[in-house]
Amino acid sequence: MVLNGNLRELARLTAEIEQFCGLHGLAEDVEFDLVLVLEELFVNSVRHGGCEGVEDAAEVRLTMLADGIALEYADRGTPFDPTKTPVPDATAPVEERLAGGLGIHLMRQIMRDFEYHRLDGWNRIRMRRPIPVEGT
Amino acid sequence: MIEVTQETRAGWLVVGVKGRADAETAEQLEAALRSAVDQHSKVAADLGALDYISSAGLRAVLQSARAAQTKDVEFAVCGMSAPVKKVFGMSGMQHLLTIHGELPC
Repeated sequence: MVLNGNLRELARLTAEIEQFCGLHGLAEDVEFDLVLVLEELFVNSVRHGGCEGVEDAAEVRLTMLADGIALEYADRGTPFDPTKTPVPDATAPVEERLAGGLGIHLMRQIMRDFEYHRLDGWNRIRMRRPIPVEGT
Repeated sequence: MIEVTQETRAGWLVVGVKGRADAETAEQLEAALRSAVDQHSKVAADLGALDYISSAGLRAVLQSARAAQTKDVEFAVCGMSAPVKKVFGMSGMQHLLTIHGELPC
């Protein structure tokens, strides 16, 4: 799906994820995680990536895999690799840790197999939400 | 969408939070929690009807907890569902909160 650079798009994004999860019979915790990670990415693009007010600012694609869900996210924002930002320092003052990076921190705990490319003015991120395979 | 209510229960000012605490509603949530902190010496956020929380919502709760700390106001969070609790856990900052399983919710 394609998103405009406006936080009001969150409702549409959430509805789309719910539909995807319903279609594939995914558990509620998987749906929760996908909504959370995509909100964090999209809010970052709009608030910090310069996507505010940009039409067709971001693209989202979810694909079922044998061992989870592939999440692809792209935005036209300023170059930013969320897979490479420093891990928050647990000893840093609380104010500093609350100020930023919390969303990316959550994303990194939920998701696996991060890939990032900057291509033709787009940030392209790919990652996987693992789902335990039955019988293993 | 988020709905916030306020009532006094067993000596606590209980802020009931219902709906979704996301980037769109975080501001409203933080304003409600901070206002409660300004009114009472014991504030509890009852998150029993909270379906979803992202980093924006988390930040609203944690900032309010910090504000309470500086004012010597007791600030507790209770009634969290398993998925909401998981997000608090992942933040690594749940030590800022007094987390009650049942009381005063």
